[in-house]
Amino acid sequence: MANGEIIAGFLAPHPPHLVYGENPPQNEPRSEGGWEPLRWAYEKARASLDAMRPDVLLVHSPHWITSVGHHFLGVRQLSGKSVDPIFPNLFRYDFSLEVDVDLAELCAEEGRKMGLVTKMMRNPNFRVDYGTITTLHMIRPQWDIPVVGISANNTPYYLNTKEGMVEMDLLGKATREAIRKSGRKAVLLASNTLSHWHFHEEPSIPEDMSKEHPQNLDGYRWDMRMIELMRKGKMREYFKLQPQFIEESFAEVKSGAFTWMHAAMGYPELAGELYGYGTVIGTGNAVMEWNLRKAGLSQLDTADSAGASALNREPYGSGLQTTY
Amino acid sequence: MTVVSAFLVPGNPLPCLKPDALVWGRLASAMQRAGRALAASRPDAVLVYSTQWYAVLDEQWLTRPRSQGIHVDENWYEYGDMPYDIHADVELAYACVASSPKQGVHARGINYDHFPIDSGTISACTLLGIGTQSLPLVVAANNLYHDAATTEKLATMAVQCAAEQGKRLAVVGIGGLSGSLFRTELDPQTDRIATASDDDWNQKILRLIEAADITRLRQVIPEFSREARADMGFKHFHWVLGALRGRFMGARVHGYGPIYGSGAAVIEFTL
Repeated sequence: MANGEIIAGFLAPHPPHLVYGENPPQNEPRSEGGWEPLRWAYEKARASLDAMRPDVLLVHSPHWITSVGHHFLGVRQLSGKSVDPIFPNLFRYDFSLEVDVDLAELCAEEGRKMGLVTKMMRNPNFRVDYGTITTLHMIRPQWDIPVVGISANNTPYYLNTKEGMVEMDLLGKATREAIRKSGRKAVLLASNTLSHWHFHEEPSIPEDMSKEHPQNLDGYRWDMRMIELMRKGKMREYFKLQPQFIEESFAEVKSGAFTWMHAAMGYPELAGELYGYGTVIGTGNAVMEWNLRKAGLSQLDTADSAGASALNREPYGSGLQTTY
Repeated sequence: MTVVSAFLVPGNPLPCLKPDALVWGRLASAMQRAGRALAASRPDAVLVYSTQWYAVLDEQWLTRPRSQGIHVDENWYEYGDMPYDIHADVELAYACVASSPKQGVHARGINYDHFPIDSGTISACTLLGIGTQSLPLVVAANNLYHDAATTEKLATMAVQCAAEQGKRLAVVGIGGLSGSLFRTELDPQTDRIATASDDDWNQKILRLIEAADITRLRQVIPEFSREARADMGFKHFHWVLGALRGRFMGARVHGYGPIYGSGAAVIEFTL
């Protein structure tokens, strides 16, 4: 079997408002649109993903929060109705998805080898979280590509950002090794918002875009600073600043998806393509792609230098090697 | 008297899901005993606040007359499903929604099929025997931005709404004591409070509650929250305190023990 490939990674945030604004048949509430720049950004991401023809999508979601280890969806077919607990007026979505259980098991196994606690979720009645569903819908509304769903272990919040990112880095490296062994052509999805300061009241018409703007100027400035680094491929500098970004803008990347994804990709110093930025109830959201295939970095050969170095490298921004 | 009984019970679903594990089974039995005491107080409705029902916009109140379904906990799914069939006192819940703005709090009713009712509320309904047609609930969310004072204010308001409707209320705060959890797989039979310090804190808090030393409790809860990671700043206790207008005579601890390292107690307040 050929070694696997990580074709690309996407920063793919999950505000349910984007699904609501689109009015897909799966979502019960109806809207008059809204959040168009972000939805158009996802249109570009969808087109790019379509051309990649991946075997599997792996998504790490901050809304499946686990306290004992890192969990993976482990039931081949999951379906049901997902209602957002915060925005039930906007998101009541009938989902049905196919899980790549074999790859999920490999990820769990590789994680255990790296010293992480991992678990397979085998309950067929499990309700998949809205973060996973929103990201998957926005990137691939056809739902025709199997997925691996990964929980957000709460170490970054329970202990601290530094220790949390060490775990997410290991999880990413384990994911990389699992993909390599599986032979799959994979795309990674980091389901994260950037700055996360939000309004505490919803407009009477949720899609009233005259009310939509960054909640906080500092959060917006942080987002622009970090996006600019990503656009220029200065990822080492990004990860060096990430702890401060998290601290000062309440950034949701604290939950670990972004670090997991870049660890799995081998922390390439590669420019991300920004498809769009916008706020949702004041939070900062960017849709971005790092295309490893185009950069010639996607193949996960055993002797691959990027891969080997990724497996040996200390996590950026964990605070273990750097001082701020 | 509007409030006829008041309780604090754990929100972690493990006693409900796996009572055959001795320490969790003891807590389940304690909750069942508390449930019998609650029923004996003959309330018209049960005013519930669970730390696990998070809100960040507005204050949310359950206004669905009957919520039915199968819930699976996102952490403890391997121990099985949590079926639920919860009746709500919609008249009282809507009164709470309408009154919240007078407390400076925006509020909304939640009436959606498949709304993800939290593990704590479902566990409490199952073990206390509440949320039935004869013991309908009024459930309030834990708005993460609300402090202790706001939480108390909303509970006081809810009791006032019940009084205006001539209803007798039982009050239930759902949440834990110390919050340190074991982070690796644990044989349930070996469960214990994660640290001696957490255990000391829990016992100190329980003694103060039994003694009804409310002044001292108000002083130490912030420290308890910091030092022992008290579940959500112990806001579920503030909910009960608000409903009781800051007064109770004592308390009976039906059970105290660990749930995966965290502290859990079943407390019946003496009114």
